[in-house]
Amino acid sequence: MDDEYTAGYREPCSECSAVDWGITDECHFYCRSCHNVIERTRDVEDTGFVQNGSSKISSIRKGSKKKPERGHIWMVCEGFQFILRNQANALLRLGVSPQFKDDVLCPLWRLFLQKSRLAYTSNPVKSSRFKVQDSDSDSAAESSNMSASATDGESNPPSAADSTAEDASDWSGSTDVSSYLSTRLKRKRSPLSMMKTLALIHLALVWSREALTLSDLLRLVNEGHVPYVNAYEQLPEEMKVIGKDALLFRVESIPSHRIVHKEAQALVLFLELPAFPPITCETLLHPELLSLRYLTDTNLPDELHLWVCRLMEQAGMADQTLHTFDPHSCPVLPRYDIQTAALIIVTMKFLFGLDDHTEWKLSNEVGNQSDSGDMFNLRRWYKLMQDVLMRAQQKRRQDIARKQWKAKKPIFPKNIGLKRTMMKKKRIAEQVQLCFEKLSSRPAGVQEVSPSSFRFCWGDEDGSDGPSLHHMKLDGVVTLKHNLLTPSNSTYWHPGLKKCDRRQCPSSHYSDMEPTLPRSFVWLLQLFSFLLDVKPPYLYEEVLKVERHVIGTETHCDVSSRKKKTRTRAKTKSSPRTLDRTLKTGGESGKTASKSS
Amino acid sequence: MDDLDRELGPHGPVEDYNDFSDDNVSKGGTNLKRPNVNPAMCKETPRETGFHRSTRICLEQIREAVLHHKWQEAAEYMACYPQLLEDTCLPPAQQNKELLWRISTNILHHHPNSTMEDYNNIYERMKHSGVRHHLMICLEHSFHLLLHGQNEDAKWQLSSAESWRHGKESAAQHQRAELISAYRSLLDYVIWCDKRFSNSDNYFDSDNQGMHDHFRQASLNLKEILKKPGVWDPFILSYVDMLELYDDHEEALKVLNDYAYNNNFPPNPNAHVYLYQYLKRHDASEKNLMRVLKVLHVLVPSHELMLDYSALLLNSENKTDIQKALGIILDMLDFTCWRTNMDVWKCLKTVIQRLEIQEDWENVVCEKMALREDWWPALHFTSFHASKDLEENPELWKVKASLAKILCPKQALKYTADRVTNGKRT
Repeated sequence: MDDEYTAGYREPCSECSAVDWGITDECHFYCRSCHNVIERTRDVEDTGFVQNGSSKISSIRKGSKKKPERGHIWMVCEGFQFILRNQANALLRLGVSPQFKDDVLCPLWRLFLQKSRLAYTSNPVKSSRFKVQDSDSDSAAESSNMSASATDGESNPPSAADSTAEDASDWSGSTDVSSYLSTRLKRKRSPLSMMKTLALIHLALVWSREALTLSDLLRLVNEGHVPYVNAYEQLPEEMKVIGKDALLFRVESIPSHRIVHKEAQALVLFLELPAFPPITCETLLHPELLSLRYLTDTNLPDELHLWVCRLMEQAGMADQTLHTFDPHSCPVLPRYDIQTAALIIVTMKFLFGLDDHTEWKLSNEVGNQSDSGDMFNLRRWYKLMQDVLMRAQQKRRQDIARKQWKAKKPIFPKNIGLKRTMMKKKRIAEQVQLCFEKLSSRPAGVQEVSPSSFRFCWGDEDGSDGPSLHHMKLDGVVTLKHNLLTPSNSTYWHPGLKKCDRRQCPSSHYSDMEPTLPRSFVWLLQLFSFLLDVKPPYLYEEVLKVERHVIGTETHCDVSSRKKKTRTRAKTKSSPRTLDRTLKTGGESGKTASKSS
Repeated sequence: MDDLDRELGPHGPVEDYNDFSDDNVSKGGTNLKRPNVNPAMCKETPRETGFHRSTRICLEQIREAVLHHKWQEAAEYMACYPQLLEDTCLPPAQQNKELLWRISTNILHHHPNSTMEDYNNIYERMKHSGVRHHLMICLEHSFHLLLHGQNEDAKWQLSSAESWRHGKESAAQHQRAELISAYRSLLDYVIWCDKRFSNSDNYFDSDNQGMHDHFRQASLNLKEILKKPGVWDPFILSYVDMLELYDDHEEALKVLNDYAYNNNFPPNPNAHVYLYQYLKRHDASEKNLMRVLKVLHVLVPSHELMLDYSALLLNSENKTDIQKALGIILDMLDFTCWRTNMDVWKCLKTVIQRLEIQEDWENVVCEKMALREDWWPALHFTSFHASKDLEENPELWKVKASLAKILCPKQALKYTADRVTNGKRT
């Protein structure tokens, strides 16, 4: 595969006289027979992000000259490369298109390595350990120079760098994990971590416009369909993971949506990515289509989708520029899932009021009508959903309790005594577990579920969560006024929408506000929070954001005192006129051209 | 596992990926730590990892199941819980092991399908999981075996525990080690008893060598143990029992006397009881018996042996002894447990009768009753007592009625047979 680059060079190797050249990772020529590296390099191209026809990064170069008893010498980034590949393959098995891995993820990964100077660079990150080894400054400079040309352990390293490489890996399987953990780097966090792999995958998914949102990805990780916890177990046998490697490769938590998103955001800026492929209304990630999925999952009527779209248009949120990352016009990576859920919630607020009175009044009216057979009744829906939600929450809690985190092959410390202690504990734990598994006739851990985009299942078959309400009509809540469909409910409440100064209020006000919010609203927030597996305050902030788009930010936040952290927010009611203008829709289902009021 | 932390150095794990809630946005999160586990283990802590959250919720589920007696469910969760042992965080390690040990055994006690094998399995594993609880778990295990009649196995467990050494740790637990030693001897006795009853006629046959071995092992150890101050009731009884069979009365007496009269030992009324019983069995003189009971009287005036004591005193001809007997019986009756006991009252009657022979007996009675005259009537001689006694035990009433006037001459007692109607006294 390097032949295209080395084809022009026909000189015999000075060591073995063979003419068989390959390219190392730092783009030096090396002889494939005797691994002699020469000075000739292939120019490093700073290619654009998406490369066509680039080769897959799928294997480590074999044939290292040194093969110590403990296996290959390997670098941390190689380990992560393997893990990333496994994760991508898992996604491919779940139905993601292969272009995601070949055309997006691989170049992204290489770009990341290049930008963080871990590989593919002529100026790699210098390991501070190499400097510490030699007290003599000359030899230190010499060894660090040599390491510059041979960061990859397999290419022929001179003996000085050899010994330092060996010393560096005394406490770990990989050669350079200490450099990832040195205090200097630690202040800005390790350049590579398990969580970064998720962030990279998320970016690649968004770029490929796959229908997997971040919450879907995290759910797949949690259910074990995408390797994450103990992913290092799938590394090849020769790459021994021991000692300090644990600090990078062992995880005991699955990161939250908020954290991964923050990381992805930072990554996008760090990699200086160009504008993403546009997320139009036909893309599955766009709220217009994503909302269909959430409406189906929560058993809400299909007619509601119409109103969601109307709301988006009137608020000017349907535009693709809002949903596509662009370093100039939209430098914030959108949170598609959260935003869509927030849109649905706001739509329901418009239609049903959700102030603990209006929605039940409307329900009563629907219930009182004689032919209410297929009219959507919120009360009935609520009762159904509440039941299902409680059971699902309980099941989730049980799954959390049963989840097994510890690996079959733990990462042992280098110290023999400690290793023995760890092995002994593991043995004891396994035997106690076996005893109780036998007693209860139920294996430990969570039963594997087949992956699905949906959490709930509605219909009449066995195993469904309840009867489907998708076909219900919204006749009870919308009326025909002046030949236009409008919601029967004409009031809308919202808390003060002015954005808080992040310095004074770094966290969400949800916990303060929550006792004053209507219970229906709070419950709906909890429902969607459960669906996306995020915390309610997170979703609440997004709801406020959507409301700012729709209504504007003139309503002020009532500040009780500057010093106090807690604030009260006045609930204001928008004027009926703004509402009418916002939500009137034509009789047909075509989009109206008007912008937000 | 302290060493593991030292080896890993000042770096905590690199991840910082939990936000407890969006309300606590972390500021600069490299300060990653071991989670701060509270003694109340089920408390959620900020910044807990997914692993710790899982084990915490698992524990909560187990607790719920156990409290509601849902043993199958408890066992299912218990299968998921042992991963806690592999936790690399330092402080709670001992707590975890103890939790696991105690909850597992609790579930095994109640689960319908639990077998002896399961118990043995769990006990063996938990025994070797750590040093601090090793001895206690050994003890519990052997008790369990004992309860299921596996005496030999129980003894074997304790013997191996006796020889367990673990540097500083075993030195710190030397009291537990002594306890184990003592129980091992007790088990020797139990086995010896079994052998004795199975071969009831020929104790001294050579076939019974095993039995004698047990005796030897037990007695050697018990002799040492019984020298240490403490409460050794079951041990001393077993020792004496063995000694009696082998007719070593001297040793038995010595041990019993030591136990009763050694000031280093905590005051223990049972010691005197055992001594008394032994002496009685071996036909000691009345004087000796009375000597023992005198001390017992001081310790426990309401003891049932006080009846024996007063009987002994009545047997003597001494005047003061009769007076003493009166005091003893009255002391007994100070306690409500003897209030309706026929024997005590009859004894009192006998004492009074013997006393009446003496001159000056009224003064004696008066003197003894001086401290009591305020509250004895209320204790024994109210009209309520009268009606109750008449109903339940008319003979008792007769005896009491005859004594009432004698004991409390100056007071107008209501202990009569007159009926009380409508609360009004007639």
